Amino acid sequence: MNAVDKRKGALVKKGTLPVGYFVLVALAALGLVAGIVRLINGLGATTNLSDSYPWGLWIVYDVFFIPFSAGAFMISAITHIYNREEYHCLARPVILAGFLGYLFVVVVLLMDLGRWHRFYNVLIPWYWNPHSFMFEVSMCVTLYTGILVMEIAPAILERLNLKKLLGIIRPLTVLIAGAGIVLSSLHQSSLGSLFLLMPYKLHPLWWTPLLPLLFFTLAAISGLSMVIFVAILSFKAFGRRLKLGLLTDIARIVSIMLGIYLVLKIGDLLLAGEIGLVVSEGWISVLFLEEMIIGVVVPLILFSMRRVRESAYGLFWGAACVLVGLAVNRASVPLLALRASGGDVYFPHWIEFAVAVGSIAAGILMFVLAARFLPVFPEPKADAH
Amino acid sequence: MTIDRRSFLKLSGASLAGAFLGTKQTTPVWAARAHNGVAMLYDATKCIGCRACQNACKEWNGNPPEPDSIGLHDAPRELSADTWTLIQLAKPEGSNEWAFLKRQCMHCLHPACVSACPVSALHQTEYGAVVYEPKRCIGCRYCMVACPFGIPKFEWDEPLPYIRKCTFCIDRLEEGLEPACSEACPVGALTFGKRDSLIAEAEARIRNNPGRYVNHIYGKEELGGTSMLYLSPIPFEKLGLPTLSPEPVTRLSEVVATYGTPSLALSVASFLGGVYYWFTKREKELQAKEAIGQEEREVES
Repeated sequence: MNAVDKRKGALVKKGTLPVGYFVLVALAALGLVAGIVRLINGLGATTNLSDSYPWGLWIVYDVFFIPFSAGAFMISAITHIYNREEYHCLARPVILAGFLGYLFVVVVLLMDLGRWHRFYNVLIPWYWNPHSFMFEVSMCVTLYTGILVMEIAPAILERLNLKKLLGIIRPLTVLIAGAGIVLSSLHQSSLGSLFLLMPYKLHPLWWTPLLPLLFFTLAAISGLSMVIFVAILSFKAFGRRLKLGLLTDIARIVSIMLGIYLVLKIGDLLLAGEIGLVVSEGWISVLFLEEMIIGVVVPLILFSMRRVRESAYGLFWGAACVLVGLAVNRASVPLLALRASGGDVYFPHWIEFAVAVGSIAAGILMFVLAARFLPVFPEPKADAH
Repeated sequence: MTIDRRSFLKLSGASLAGAFLGTKQTTPVWAARAHNGVAMLYDATKCIGCRACQNACKEWNGNPPEPDSIGLHDAPRELSADTWTLIQLAKPEGSNEWAFLKRQCMHCLHPACVSACPVSALHQTEYGAVVYEPKRCIGCRYCMVACPFGIPKFEWDEPLPYIRKCTFCIDRLEEGLEPACSEACPVGALTFGKRDSLIAEAEARIRNNPGRYVNHIYGKEELGGTSMLYLSPIPFEKLGLPTLSPEPVTRLSEVVATYGTPSLALSVASFLGGVYYWFTKREKELQAKEAIGQEEREVES
């Protein structure tokens, strides 16, 4: 408690809102307690999941935060592979956010495993089922989280002044980044492939053989939007000046990719002769239109306008739209648009909410602390270039 | 709509497969499965709804009853971790027809649950029965979500639950016995045997009893075939069984997993390598040019 208070004191001095900080600590603590209760008492006692709804809020959490964290691999592609040096100032905060995103995906995934004490079974080679996309997903989560640790390691090693270890990891930067990009591509697309098995369960507005491609494209779009979102929020919060031009370029790429996504989505529905479902399915149609309008059409229009791309405000709201659309998409596919096999209804238990909200709070908290104590942001004088 | 989707699926499946395979003829991953294991034929016109099968199942597998509020009978409303087979009355609205439906694992020839399981906890035995190996299970519940019939159930009351479902009485099969449910049936509504001979039997029943059956053997072709076969006096969708195409649901997923995943990994890796090489080379050239320019300027001055 004392240590927390001390750290809090340090933060208050530097100008963070103490109320916000307290709320984050409280939510994270509540999530921790809820998580322990869940692990001890089992899924049936602590969630509203059932045989009708074997998957719920936590799966939505995972399939949302995995593409949210895609900012990390997008920025590492831009800086390390395309060699765009000027993006280096964004790389660390974004990769840190991506790492924390994945870290809490792993935490929530573990919570969601009925037999969590046997999680390591996915790592036993003679148990592997290469036909299973759940297998691919778990491999990718494990390996890519490891890659992200190596990608943020330099910030920690610099702070601890461990020159020897830095010397080992530095020359491998490009290799690590490359492996991360390959794993991410597999991971994002395999999340969509999970649902290829369910043409009779997933509503045809979402089910298509293109699922892996659509999931990957949406992840790339969301990742870049997360870069914009995190950059604007964190540079502002920490009082660092940011060259907006970098984000303007990213927003233009986002608008092009949104166009591609829209064409893929509409083209697929037209080809399948299912375009009529966009209006004929009641609340399911509303859900679909919500996703497409908020997450694709509106940001596509916004980011096509130069004026919007060149203002911090416009950039922020455009990126926020994409992320809201992503949230609707990732709530639909594994839950809302998936036909239940029984008559029950599902609304998450408070423990499910507590774990999800607590994980987000803990993620933000760790981001703020890391940003304070590690060389995450460029030094004020260095970002003038 | 279904046909559109199916033809679209075939088209995309074919183009995907074409892209990955080229012109090479390969045995498809979904083809190497037993097609003449054991099976069971349920004749809904013979079933009297006595639920002897249900009780025999519970007795053999040691599953507790799920009584209703009065507590008189075992009265489960749905399949569950403790109820692996269930007789349900199908009485379509606005019609005088009715029939009983026996539900349990269909023991698909191309089981989605087996394809889905990340740790191979579910597998198909040589008999055709789809069975579960508890110690491997991590409780991800992908099998429950993937099954088109909603069969695998979870022990929600347990702190560390297992998946539970009909095993086709694999332990009895191994001892040369037939499953408990078909053995218990007093009216011959359940017949156990080899899959091809049961299909022949079902076809004969349809042929010899005009008007008694809908002219369709459910499970013969659905999803590439199931080990449970059904005959019904009323259309199967009214009986409560989903309308499914002969295309196994595992096919697209397994093709993408087998060929798509390595192709994607390789193409992303080589693309990145290419781009990185090109950019690095260009940068070096630029630096070299600059250096030459500088030298020239130095020489001039």
